[in-house]
Amino acid sequence: MTNVYIQGIGMTKFGKFVDQSMKSLLLEASIQALEDAGNPKVDAVFVGNFMGGSISNQEILGAIVANELGLGYVPTAKVEGACASGGIALRQGIMGILSGEYDTVLVAGVEKMKHASTADVTQAINAAMDTDSNEKQAGLTFPGFFGVLANRYFYETEATKEHLAMIAMKNRENALNNPLAQFRKPTTMEEIMEARIITSPLGLFDCSPTTDGAAALIISRKKGGVHIRASAQSSGPTQMQDAADLLSLPAVRESGRLAYEKAGVSPDDIDVVEIHDCFSMTEMLAIEELGFFNKREGWLAIEQGQTKVTGGKPVNTSGGLLSRGHPIGATGIAQIYHLVQQLRGTAPNQVEGARLALAQNLGGTGSYSTVHILERL
Amino acid sequence: MKVYQCAHCEYASVSSKYRCPSCGTGSLQEQEVSSKGSVYSYTDIHIAPAEFAHLAPYTVVLVQLDEAKVKVTVRMNSEVSIGDAVDLDHVENGAYVYTK
Repeated sequence: MTNVYIQGIGMTKFGKFVDQSMKSLLLEASIQALEDAGNPKVDAVFVGNFMGGSISNQEILGAIVANELGLGYVPTAKVEGACASGGIALRQGIMGILSGEYDTVLVAGVEKMKHASTADVTQAINAAMDTDSNEKQAGLTFPGFFGVLANRYFYETEATKEHLAMIAMKNRENALNNPLAQFRKPTTMEEIMEARIITSPLGLFDCSPTTDGAAALIISRKKGGVHIRASAQSSGPTQMQDAADLLSLPAVRESGRLAYEKAGVSPDDIDVVEIHDCFSMTEMLAIEELGFFNKREGWLAIEQGQTKVTGGKPVNTSGGLLSRGHPIGATGIAQIYHLVQQLRGTAPNQVEGARLALAQNLGGTGSYSTVHILERL
Repeated sequence: MKVYQCAHCEYASVSSKYRCPSCGTGSLQEQEVSSKGSVYSYTDIHIAPAEFAHLAPYTVVLVQLDEAKVKVTVRMNSEVSIGDAVDLDHVENGAYVYTK
């Protein structure tokens, strides 16, 4: 267990904001978090960001936050871990407090993607593969990886494309109630099933979008707010062809196992979950790897509605990456933003009486995973 | 096809590792095995990154090799089903291009 608490949260709306800079989004979320925490003194800053250098030609995000907010000469860093940049930035902040070096840390995440062309963004995202490999040269992409997993999952179980569509539909329905979500337009199962194919069997609605947005947290050793009961991180294979079991994401499984052990809780104890649904298929595997459902049976839980807000294990009540949006570096922090709202009792799609919450953030083709378990005090 | 087999346990991979990630004690040794295998899973890629856009749509296949406990990610230009027998056609820019 940690002695670290979340004292403040901030988040911009997620979507397409061509007239706003990455800096302005980052500062907006950070100021919200500072004000929510009562403007405490900040001892360090960690910023999760993935492609600021490659598509916005902007680095030194930590120092920019410290300077623009007038935080003084405090240490700062940008943290890169592909789509898990936000979760890893949070973990670095927690480790800084646990080490005794800092009392209070500002952790933020940001990405600006919508100004760049699809080809440039796709190229930048591919940096999160092992690019010196026969696998990359074969033309595999991130949606391609999860397409390969989905076809094998269909082969080994009775699941079909319709089960993936149920996940996309659930997350869209949740986003309709979230004022900060990117997609708030209702859809239908027919529209999801018939959408154009990206990487078979995955269609447009099975894939998370590109998004602009930022989120921020103030964490502190000062008791109060929401308790971070556990923080865990693991690595996994950086290539699909190295997976011992194709239908497993070992980094997710191991980071979950470690987090439960550190928190002294089991999957059954968790009341509300934010999972890294970069693709509908990723949510299917992650609900199994985190121990909420048996291996190869996640599709049954989906079919029974168990992961809906009204089900026994609500997953992605924010709308998830699929519909809340996926500004890469901000995603891991936005998950925490939503779960803190759940534990404060002020969330869209509020789960009544939520006491324990779990966030899982993934990077690469299962290369990085963080799990944080939060507790209402 | 070159594969790398642990000297102390069953672990094998198409890419070399400094230390066996499975048992942690062994080192991997290079072996030459047949490129013949079967389709373990696949996807048809319709939206490709710029450098592969001229090939789209193309099929990426995870092949289970017949002679080693190793899977290899390859590219194909024909429709496939899980279980289909496939073999190496040629190597192109570091990619294994397979055929049925």
